[in-house]
Amino acid sequence: MRVKYVLSEVMVGLWRNVTMTIAMIITMAVSLTMLGASGLIYTKVADMKELYFENIQVSIFLDNEVTEQQKAEIQAKLDADPLVAETTFVNKDDAYKRFQDMFRDSPDLLSAVKPDVLPESYRLKLVNPQEYKAINEQYSNVEGVDQVVDQSRVLDKIFNLFTAGQNIALVAAIAMAVAALLLVANTIQVAAYSKRREVAVMKLVGASNWFIQAPFVLEAVVAGLIGSVLALGALIGLKVFLFDGALAALQGLFAPVSWGEVFLAFPLMAGVGGLISAVTAWVTLRFYLRV
Amino acid sequence: MTKTYPKASRPSLDNVSVAIEKGEFVFFIGPSGSGKSTIIKMLLHEVTPNKGRIIVNGKDVTSMRSWKRPAFRRSIGCVFQDFRLLPNRTAYENVAFALEVIGKTKAVARRVVPEVLELVGLGGKEHRYPHELSGGEQQRVAVARAFVNRPLILLADEPTGNLDPDTSIEIMRLLDRINRTGTTVVMVTHDSNIVNQMRRRVIEIESGRIVRDQARGVYG
Repeated sequence: MRVKYVLSEVMVGLWRNVTMTIAMIITMAVSLTMLGASGLIYTKVADMKELYFENIQVSIFLDNEVTEQQKAEIQAKLDADPLVAETTFVNKDDAYKRFQDMFRDSPDLLSAVKPDVLPESYRLKLVNPQEYKAINEQYSNVEGVDQVVDQSRVLDKIFNLFTAGQNIALVAAIAMAVAALLLVANTIQVAAYSKRREVAVMKLVGASNWFIQAPFVLEAVVAGLIGSVLALGALIGLKVFLFDGALAALQGLFAPVSWGEVFLAFPLMAGVGGLISAVTAWVTLRFYLRV
Repeated sequence: MTKTYPKASRPSLDNVSVAIEKGEFVFFIGPSGSGKSTIIKMLLHEVTPNKGRIIVNGKDVTSMRSWKRPAFRRSIGCVFQDFRLLPNRTAYENVAFALEVIGKTKAVARRVVPEVLELVGLGGKEHRYPHELSGGEQQRVAVARAFVNRPLILLADEPTGNLDPDTSIEIMRLLDRINRTGTTVVMVTHDSNIVNQMRRRVIEIESGRIVRDQARGVYG
């Protein structure tokens, strides 16, 4: 009977104040969507870093007038370098093949460039891709080296963009969470006020504190959970229409967002939504009902 | 004990010491603001004294933690001048509510509630709403709700304050019957008629001090 009583009180409570309940659910949903999205971006960036850094290369381009002896010295230095995992030499013909492959859609450019214009280079795989700076310092001033180019520098810029997006989503999530929190506090106050007679009688006859508080706290938690279900819907929408729809062409560039990851975000959102609601409701009641 | 409310120039109760035996019927009388209602609030653990101790049913209420208050209150029934009934519930539901929120089953309520409503003289009116009942009848519902748990103590804060003299007498008869079951009754009032008719112990308070404590007393 007590469980039934509490549950029916929760439903009555949510319905009595339905506009406020809707406002509470919507803000909660938006906040949790932002939270879930930022969580997804976070795991994606980590995935992509792993993916890219595994294949990342440092290229050492050689001067066109480089001598055989200089080449041999560089090769020896690279072979002895503990930072370098793997070295590949790309001669002018290889470079031209790569060039042709890369620009196969631009025949004008292809016809303008002759194989001997392209520089020879070493392509290095590093033991730890982050140590690119050390390579740059060691080799950029060696005789015969034109320049050292690191792909991770470009990638870092892209990742910074992602991290900025993640931070924006997080800030938005926090701002909306504060709004949701205030709405929960407000809703609970209104609910407690509209049930003040019942609460007074319950306190008088000695109903236990949890029994007085439970309907209010659960009311907030149910709203929070509904909000997190809506947020899950929003994330599914994001995946279907944005990642698999509009951004499908960039699929090779970004690590794809899997369904598993989308659904894994749900426990996070539901947990945060439910917990924030419960704590806010409970604290509000302590001040408002003094139970 | 002494109770001073914050911002008050003089204590609401000043060095008051009273012992009330089990099964007694006691009137607290005195003018408005004399501190009568503060006594009820302290017996309910709603306010605590600044000095001194309050012992109810052998338990020291003064040092009681607030989380123990609900269990403590189950041993005390309470009736007020303004009845404090739930307007959207019938007489039966009002009494049953008090049982259900402390964890009694519906089956218990079905057995006990009609019994206690019969006892207070509301047999046949169980399914009336408070606005369909007279003031006296509403107070009977309140008494039924206070008594349904068979408390050791019944506190009544001016229970006849909103009732006409005849109805007041009926409520007093009811409280007297409850007292005869062994329940201690503590009643705050300034209804001289009632005090004079009942001839029970009278404790008069003025400006926070006991000025008279008389067995079988009159209003004075």
